Amino acid sequence: MQPLGKAASDDDRPLIERVRRGDQDAARILYERYFDRIYNYVYARLGRAEDAEDLAIDTMTRSLTRLDLFQDQGVAFSSWVYRIAHNATIDHYRRQGKAILVPLESATLPVSADPSDLAVDQLSNDDLREALRALTDEQQQVLILRFFQDLTAAQAARIMGKSVGAVQALQHRALGSLERVLHGRTNN
Amino acid sequence: MTPEVQRLERLAERLRSVDAVMPSPGAKIRGWNLVLAAVNQSASVRSRSHPVRRLVLVAVAAAVLLVGGAVAASADSLPDSALYPLKSVVENARGALAFSPSDKFAYHLDLARTRLTEAEAMLARHRLDLASQALGGLNDQLNEAALVVQAEQLSDPALAASLDNRLVQAIATHDLQLAGLQGQVTNPAAIAAITQARDRAAQALQTAAKPASDGAKLSTSAKGPGTGASATPRPTPKH
Repeated sequence: MQPLGKAASDDDRPLIERVRRGDQDAARILYERYFDRIYNYVYARLGRAEDAEDLAIDTMTRSLTRLDLFQDQGVAFSSWVYRIAHNATIDHYRRQGKAILVPLESATLPVSADPSDLAVDQLSNDDLREALRALTDEQQQVLILRFFQDLTAAQAARIMGKSVGAVQALQHRALGSLERVLHGRTNN
Repeated sequence: MTPEVQRLERLAERLRSVDAVMPSPGAKIRGWNLVLAAVNQSASVRSRSHPVRRLVLVAVAAAVLLVGGAVAASADSLPDSALYPLKSVVENARGALAFSPSDKFAYHLDLARTRLTEAEAMLARHRLDLASQALGGLNDQLNEAALVVQAEQLSDPALAASLDNRLVQAIATHDLQLAGLQGQVTNPAAIAAITQARDRAAQALQTAAKPASDGAKLSTSAKGPGTGASATPRPTPKH
C-alpha cells in the first residue's frame, strides 16, 4: 500500500486555530494532510473516481469552513473529517437512490462453501475492493479505516463512535463476511 | 490460533497490501481552488460577525437605546431632575427646527406652558429657587413669542394679528393659573415671584404691540430678577 501521508495528530490544533483566523496557509496544510486519505476512503466506498473526487472536495470544504461546529473536545479533527466523509457517502447513496447495503448475514450465500479454499493471495485488488462494497455500511467502514487507511482500532473507534472492543468485534465479523463474499464470487 | 482466525489474519494482511487509490493531480488542484474560495468566503462572513464587532454593535445599540430612553424620559423631567439639562438640549434642538414665524410662535408658547408646569411643581416641592427660574423662563418664552408677533406686524399684518390674538389668550390662561397658584402659596417670596411673573406676562403683550425697533430692546430688558444667568441649568431655547 502506498503511504497516505501523516495521520491525524495533535498538530492539527494550532492549524485549526489559524484557519479560524482566516489563514490560508494553515488551510492548505490541513488540505494536503487529509485530502488523499479522504479521497481514498470515499473511493473505497463508491468505486468511482469522479464521485470520490467530488465527495472528497465536498468533505474538505465542509471541514475547513464549518470549524465553528467543530469542538475540539474529546473528538480529534481527523475523526471529524472522517465522519463528514462518511455522512457525505451515505448522502451520496441516498441521492443515487441506492439502498444501504443489506447486512451480509441476511444475504444468500452458498452454505456448503468452504472458506478455507480461498486463495487470498491470488485475489486482485479490484476483486477485494468490489467484494468489500458488498458488505454492510459499518463493515465497509471498519475494514477501510483499519486496513486501507491503516488506522488503529482506537482511531477507528473514535471515528465510528464506538468502543475499541466493539470495533474489534465488528472488524472480525467484517472479515468473515468479506471472506464469504469472496468465496462465493470465486465459486460462481 | 484457530484456522478461522488464521484465515482472517491472512485476509487482513491482503487488505493492507491493496494499493491506495490516489486522486489525480488535477482533481487535487481543482479541489484546493474550491476549498480556498470557500474558506475565504467563510472568513469574510466570520469577520463580519466577529465577536468584537458584534460587541461594538451591541454597545452602540445599547447606547442609542439608553440615550433615546433618556431623551424620552427627560421630556417630562422637572428642574430638580438629573435629566433636566438634557431636556434643555432637546428643546433647543426643537427650536432650531422651527423656521416659519408660526412654528416659532407655537414653539415659544409650548415652552411657556412647560415652564409654568415646572414652576407649579417646584412650588409644590417648596423649591422656590427653581420655581423662580421656571417663572423667569415662562416670561422669557412669552416675550420671545411676542417678538415673533412684533416682527410680523410689517411683513404680514394678518398673521401678526392672528398670532397676537393667540398670545393674548395664552397669557390670559397663564395669568389665571398664576393667580390660582398665588392663592395657594403662603411664602412671601413665592407670592412676590408669581406677582412679578404675572406683571411680566402682561408686558409681553405690550411688546407684541410695539414697533420692531422698540421690541428688540424690550426683549432683553424684559428679564427681571430670577430670570437672568443662573448656576442652575435651565432650558434656554435658542434658534
